[in-house]
Amino acid sequence: MSARLPRIGLYLTIALILAVAFFPFWWMLDTSLKQPVDIFGGVTLYPHHPTTSNYSRLFDVYHFGAYLENSLIIVAVSVAFSLTIGTLAAYALARFQLRFGLNQSALVVALLVRMIPGILLVIPLYITLAKWGLLNTRLGLILIYTGLNTSFVIWMMQSFLAEIPRDIEEAAMVDGDSRLTALWRVVIPLAAPGLAATAIFCVITTYNDFLIALSLTSTTQAQTVPVGVSTLIGKIQIEYGPMAAAGVVGALPIVIFALVVQRHFVRGLTLGAVK
Amino acid sequence: MTDLVVSPESPEPGEPPRQRKVLPGSGWGGRFVASPYLLLVPAAVALAGVSLYPLFYGVRASFTHYLYGRDFGTNGLTNYRNVWHDEFFRQAMVTTAKYVVCTVTIETLLGLGLALLVSREIRFSSPIRVGLILPMTIAPVVVGVMWRLIYDSGVGVTDPLWQLFGASPPDVLAHNTSAFIAVVVVDVWEWTPLIFLIVLAGLQSMPQEPLEAARVDGAGRVRLFMDHTLPMLMPVLLVAITLRTIDAIGTFDQIYVLTQGGPGTATRLISIYAYNTAFLFTQYGQAAAMLVMLLIMVMLLMIVAVRLMRRAAR
Repeated sequence: MSARLPRIGLYLTIALILAVAFFPFWWMLDTSLKQPVDIFGGVTLYPHHPTTSNYSRLFDVYHFGAYLENSLIIVAVSVAFSLTIGTLAAYALARFQLRFGLNQSALVVALLVRMIPGILLVIPLYITLAKWGLLNTRLGLILIYTGLNTSFVIWMMQSFLAEIPRDIEEAAMVDGDSRLTALWRVVIPLAAPGLAATAIFCVITTYNDFLIALSLTSTTQAQTVPVGVSTLIGKIQIEYGPMAAAGVVGALPIVIFALVVQRHFVRGLTLGAVK
Repeated sequence: MTDLVVSPESPEPGEPPRQRKVLPGSGWGGRFVASPYLLLVPAAVALAGVSLYPLFYGVRASFTHYLYGRDFGTNGLTNYRNVWHDEFFRQAMVTTAKYVVCTVTIETLLGLGLALLVSREIRFSSPIRVGLILPMTIAPVVVGVMWRLIYDSGVGVTDPLWQLFGASPPDVLAHNTSAFIAVVVVDVWEWTPLIFLIVLAGLQSMPQEPLEAARVDGAGRVRLFMDHTLPMLMPVLLVAITLRTIDAIGTFDQIYVLTQGGPGTATRLISIYAYNTAFLFTQYGQAAAMLVMLLIMVMLLMIVAVRLMRRAAR
């Protein structure tokens, strides 16, 4: 039934979809490599006089070194924390029949926490951090992201762990391992692909978060990359070159990670509803 | 003490969890029954700290009088009354509703249509998947920057595009209607891929026999789609639409970068308005009251989402 639409039309459609998806990326990269004169010099699809000055301005004038450092520390620590405590909880939920219907209800709670829009949490979090003197600190953001990511880790890891046959760890326990060492030596290596996908997801959402970081930080002491990107826009005279460069720096690490987990991507975004 | 031996007929992966007794000395077994619960404690603390506590605190703040950001005790329903009579709040709710309906509808129809069009061509599914994942992965702030670079007059491509057709450049983000359309377009660019990929995965894993049978019986393409394809896609599609709706209600980042809610109030979604109320005007109480009202709506949607996900999982 489908051969009626000419092949050529199909290929054009695919090409068009990809072009629309890619163009904004290319345009940003293009702009980031242009001289200021060329940026305002009409539409050119590649930089005629390529320069890296926009990138050096980003680091020399606009503190991007500090933003990147903050992001790196905050993402690494909070993802490590949340993977640890989330996987432990997921293991308990996947392997034990718990009382009070906890197996089901804990998962639903984790799911709900994951779905709450950030704007609903950010004002109380601001007031709370202000009380504890944690505003504009990396620690404050680390604590919050740890909590938010934990919900996702529980949800994802529970389904990955449930797929691992329990005989294997029971055999290890017969051989003298305790529950926790069996988990560490036998189960975790088997769950490694799922764990890696979950970790990368957490990295992406944490690195990309804007609203929470914007509201809870105020200086380069704790501001993250997306907040740094936005500081280039609030000005009356926008410097488009550095702004484009900032966008590239903000996108690059994530693009790399995304390509690694592309197979699991839709599963993560639909919270496991689509495998 | 039965069931001690690890038998060959042990549970299959995916079988519901079931407590098993373990050899003495090989872990917790019956000795220390509380242990699995202990594993849950750190996670429970972390989750409560970033959700339960803030939500509780937010509800409390909505009954509190704040002046210049300082807590001056409870003031009953005053915040709610103020919000209720606030014309801008209503406006923001209407704008948000318009935004959510427009984006989710367009994304669903477009994603569904494109996936149906492309599904026959399996050869290209890998580059398509990679190409379409990127818009959803990168930070919404960066998405905002990208589209600023496209929309802004002088540097962008929309103005020259208009001139190509002989029209005078409109300066997209400076006019009410065009700015609203512009932010909708950005959302559509970013999230149509999700629907597209879900439908594509569904189509490519769909059993072909019923389709063939119906075709032999002389069913037309529209019939086939309505009677077979769509019902099979429905469970996951509904999950995606609900999750997308919840997300769209909370949209903040791109709008903040693109228009900051302007021009005027044309793109001022509830999240932008609540953010400004709290952080520009330090009216925490009123902002909290707005968010509690929003939370009730989102909660309903989240319950729907959980139900749909359960059904789709079956």
